[in-house]
Amino acid sequence: MKTSILTFTLSIFICVAARAELKWEQSTIDLHPAVGDKTAVAHFKYQNTGTTPVHFKSVRASCGCTTTQSQKEVVNPGEKGEVVATFNIGDRTGQQMKTVTVQTDDPNPSQATTVLTLKATIPQALEIKPTFVYWQTGEEPKPKKISIKASKDFPAKSISVKSNSQNFESKVEPSKTSGEWTIEVTPKDTSHPMGTALLVQSDYPKEAPKSFYVNASITAPPGAPPALRPNVPGAPPTKTGTPAAIPSPAADR
Amino acid sequence: MKLRAVREGLLLVALAFLPAIGEGIYFRDKISWQSSIPASELVTVDQARAWGDSAIWVDARPDEEFARDHVPGAFSLNEDHWNELLPQFLPNWSPGKKVIVYCSAESCNAARDVAKRLRDEAQLTEVFVLQGGWEGWVKKNR
Repeated sequence: MKTSILTFTLSIFICVAARAELKWEQSTIDLHPAVGDKTAVAHFKYQNTGTTPVHFKSVRASCGCTTTQSQKEVVNPGEKGEVVATFNIGDRTGQQMKTVTVQTDDPNPSQATTVLTLKATIPQALEIKPTFVYWQTGEEPKPKKISIKASKDFPAKSISVKSNSQNFESKVEPSKTSGEWTIEVTPKDTSHPMGTALLVQSDYPKEAPKSFYVNASITAPPGAPPALRPNVPGAPPTKTGTPAAIPSPAADR
Repeated sequence: MKLRAVREGLLLVALAFLPAIGEGIYFRDKISWQSSIPASELVTVDQARAWGDSAIWVDARPDEEFARDHVPGAFSLNEDHWNELLPQFLPNWSPGKKVIVYCSAESCNAARDVAKRLRDEAQLTEVFVLQGGWEGWVKKNR
């Protein structure tokens, strides 16, 4: 009887003592990439402070724009390591929050799943408002204005605008305030649908000036087939599920 | 007597708040700060289909997922290649056309982010997010 009580007590003690615990240095990391950076990388460091090994079951990012890498599959007691999350910035701007869910074989359900958060503040080089101006078919071709403002991290002194379309005229007016401009876009003809992307180029950074786009369209009347594909310099072919929906070739040359 | 009851009641309320406050502090990093999409900006698969040609579909998923399959007629517009894809999508929009944006599933954020940029930057009106995303569409259509 005494032996079984002792065995029971000992097994309880061993069970309690033999625990796996992954301690994370930080579960949220704030990143501030610079203008032009392609990626933002977060290093989530951990240590196994328990007495048994911890196995990673999965490390999953919340979106396809974030890739994750865990250096090892098993973390032995006392061992340290990190999960690296690489966020591909693409054409995103502003506040971005992505999560990485880590699952381990920890028997304690509250410890088995950890959500790591990557917060990135992506600077907007030029604030363009609006990025799209349009006229309805037959509308009077009055000029429309687009305001452009450079952020403080993007010290552009001047911008230029180019269009492949002869139907849209554009001119840049610098504002009284440094780093601010107004682009005035005027169509020559609004009798039929067409579109163009205007290439806005800054003089910064000097080695590789950055390009931005604003869009101008003469929209199709209700019920009419979709407008025509704009002529965008350097852009890949249009991606759509129904090629027939887009009349070829580019509308407006 | 009454005063004692009120005091005890207040004490109970204060005690009830303690674990909530503790949990709030302990899980502060795990609280979702992403606001949910207002109901007025959501559309169900059935509603969206009923709009027919007066709506235009936008696929906010990454290029590879769009290439694998998508809603017929949808345009690819994701934030990875926003500057290239937006000029290809906009000429197909006209005033009065509704825009339905979707991403992989109910839980993804890409559709909400793309819809927000279309409203804020391109200043399009009537931009909706598809409830259930691509998964929801597949369930109803296959």
